[in-house]
Amino acid sequence: MKTSGKLTAVKGLLLIFFAVSVLLPLLRMLARMTTVDIRGLLVSGPFLAALKNSLVVTAVSTLIAVFLATLLSWLLERSRIRFKGLFALLFTLPMLIPSISHGMGLVVLFGANGLVTGWFGLKGSIYGFWGIVAGSVMYSFPVAFLMLSDILRYEDSSPYEAADVMGISRRHQFASITAPFLRRPMLSTLFAVFTLIIIDYGVPLMVGGQYKTLPVMMYQDVIGLLDFGKGSVIGLVLLTPALVAFILDVLNRDKLTLSFVARPFRVRKNRLRDGLAYVTSGLVSLAVLLPIAAFLLLTLVKKYPSDMRLSMDNISRAFNMGAGANLGHSLVIALVTSLTGVALSFLVAYMTARTPGKLSKILHLVSLISLAIPGIVLGLSYVLFFKGSLIYGSLAILILVNLVHFFASPYLMIYNTLAKLNEHLEAVGQTLGVSRISIIRDVILPQAGGTLAEMFTYFFVNSMMTISAVAFLATAGTRPLSLMITSFEAQMLLECAAFIALLILTVNLLVKGLFTYYRSRKERSAYEPDQAAV
Amino acid sequence: MGKNKLTVEKLSKQFGTNEVLQNISFTVEEGEFLSILGPSGCGKTTLLRILLGLETAESGRIIKDGIDIAGLPPAQRGMGMVFQNYALFENMTVLGNVEYALKKRGGSKKARSTALELIERVGLSGHLSKKPRQLSGGQQQRVALARTLAVNPDIILLDEPMSALDVETRLALRSEILDLQKEFGSTIIYITHDQEEAFAMSDRIMVMHEGVIQQIDSPHKLMDQPANDYIRAFVIHNIQVKIDSLIRYSREAK
Ligand SMILES: Nc1ncnc2c1ncn2[C@@H]1O[C@H](COP(=O)(O)OP(=O)(O)OP(=O)(O)O)[C@@H](O)[C@H]1O
Ligand SMILES: [Mg+2]
Repeated sequence: MKTSGKLTAVKGLLLIFFAVSVLLPLLRMLARMTTVDIRGLLVSGPFLAALKNSLVVTAVSTLIAVFLATLLSWLLERSRIRFKGLFALLFTLPMLIPSISHGMGLVVLFGANGLVTGWFGLKGSIYGFWGIVAGSVMYSFPVAFLMLSDILRYEDSSPYEAADVMGISRRHQFASITAPFLRRPMLSTLFAVFTLIIIDYGVPLMVGGQYKTLPVMMYQDVIGLLDFGKGSVIGLVLLTPALVAFILDVLNRDKLTLSFVARPFRVRKNRLRDGLAYVTSGLVSLAVLLPIAAFLLLTLVKKYPSDMRLSMDNISRAFNMGAGANLGHSLVIALVTSLTGVALSFLVAYMTARTPGKLSKILHLVSLISLAIPGIVLGLSYVLFFKGSLIYGSLAILILVNLVHFFASPYLMIYNTLAKLNEHLEAVGQTLGVSRISIIRDVILPQAGGTLAEMFTYFFVNSMMTISAVAFLATAGTRPLSLMITSFEAQMLLECAAFIALLILTVNLLVKGLFTYYRSRKERSAYEPDQAAV
Repeated sequence: MGKNKLTVEKLSKQFGTNEVLQNISFTVEEGEFLSILGPSGCGKTTLLRILLGLETAESGRIIKDGIDIAGLPPAQRGMGMVFQNYALFENMTVLGNVEYALKKRGGSKKARSTALELIERVGLSGHLSKKPRQLSGGQQQRVALARTLAVNPDIILLDEPMSALDVETRLALRSEILDLQKEFGSTIIYITHDQEEAFAMSDRIMVMHEGVIQQIDSPHKLMDQPANDYIRAFVIHNIQVKIDSLIRYSREAK
């Protein structure tokens, strides 16, 4: 039939896009490895040391972050404390700034001249193992918190009510209801957090000191020594945990069925629990806010700690060194990435969720692959593949790399939304003599509005703060704001770096705020009758 | 009645190696109410989708009012379909759902008055500006019916339209659908899993099994002269159901 021919053509084009933007660059990177003595590298002392460091520090950080996230999400979902929305917002604040600024926060607070160090006259060093753990926990626990909150929110309370009626003890309830329910989501969360931490170089670069991890080694090999071959080998090693997580995830995804008719929990009064919830949430909020307050202090005084007069010096210095232009780059990159990203992921998800067929299945899998590619690996493979091409050195390549890097999550959001809409809508249109395009515009898009806004926010926030992929690709004329943190830090201009982190946080908070406002308005109007129609 | 409305000749359809329809032939008369009964997966929905033009058959002819319509796009076949789970436009109001296609086809003024009339006819005038989610299942079903009737099809296909409704609403909707059929002079092809419903509503019933029509006859004939053992077992089961419900009814009446 004619229409199915058109659909096939679109799917084919999309597959070609992914081949050029994901597959070929990765292959190019793999090809690069043939020039290296791989075996020699993999058994060399520094490599093995970095590998061991990475594994140990990631394992410890993951356990702490997931434990913390479990505790906090449970306390927020199953207690009666007030200000839950505010706490949830504070807990996810660290997701709005680059990971490297969490390392910087630690330095500012606990480093040799740190605020806290100074006040309490502490000795000892934040640099090294525990510094990396603290920074990694800080920026990864919000991710785990969101994942687990979602799971707990939709847990069905009826099994517990039944158990209560039968007089089954709380301990047995935990073992026989809660534990099996949480096992799979808990595993997913552990994997997600583990991969997030093991591929990050922001935190270890900042506070790692002598404790070198694999991503730092790769970063230094590529950026410092321009040793692309060695970088590629390490990149491949870093790809493995994410690939394992990805495969497990794909295998599990279809089995994971959340029941949407779940009966919500009715939380009973419990002073002790609520007290604990207040204390814990308060402490974590403090831990989140402390570095931000420190950034603010550092930015606004002339020279901490020697000259505490208020001054705009740091801000104007940052602007003199190009913060304005780089903010412009970042805004353009984030805006274009978000708009094209939303459009592209909608198009792909429409094909995979609403037009069945083999090509759709392939396209779906290929779309999820970006979930498995660390930004640092993607960046390097883009350098190798696009060098000498027209877009190399332009804003376009930064937009493309962000688009690919952050594609999978928004894609999944819209895929789930579209798959939930009645499968016959297009057929209804056909029998009524209304084209597919009209049904998309008049019926499907209006129902996907909330998801589209959420996707836009995701692309935007992440494009604003990402460092990993763009670090290899930016030039002086295209450099995004986030990269100024690295360069200010390298020049020992912590005050200016702190200001940049605040600037990114402000922009991202604004975008997040707009989204929250939009969604709350939409939710309110969703159930009101539409007066305009009559 | 009596005039031939639709003739299906030797229709065959395969999905891969799965022969879903094998040489299906039957005719439907104008104004007839034909039910299709058969176990899950026997090809009922596929047959309707082919009649509509949403799916193409490997071979066979579909003749409506003397014309072969196999090459026509769905909207030009003069058939309407009420889908399983209604497939309403959730973002639009009742009025929006019913007038949408009319507006798209031109004539906004006419669209509004036609839609209002139809909504009145299915008894939803009081719910014009409600969204589908704010309606009961039976009301949603009526919206779906009105939306289908809006483009004025002369054959209406319904795919298990009542499967999600409670018994009382089903009973009420039965007579409403039959009334609408009379009023609009429509020919109806109606898929159901409910034998009782098929026997009560239909002029003729078509029993399908494994892609083949086992028998197509009036409810009476189906009981009196079952064509084969499959139908015999089928009808006996139906009688059993009727006896059961009679017993239940008499118990409740006491
Ligand atoms: N698009 C498709 N691709 C492949 N197989 C299909 C497709 N649509 C239907 N089938 C298969 O064709 C057979 C008949 O399906 P159909 O939906 O027509 O059955 P049905 O009689 O309507 O069943 P039910 O009573 O469960 O609705 C089934 O085996 C089904 O799996
Ligand atoms: Mg069916």
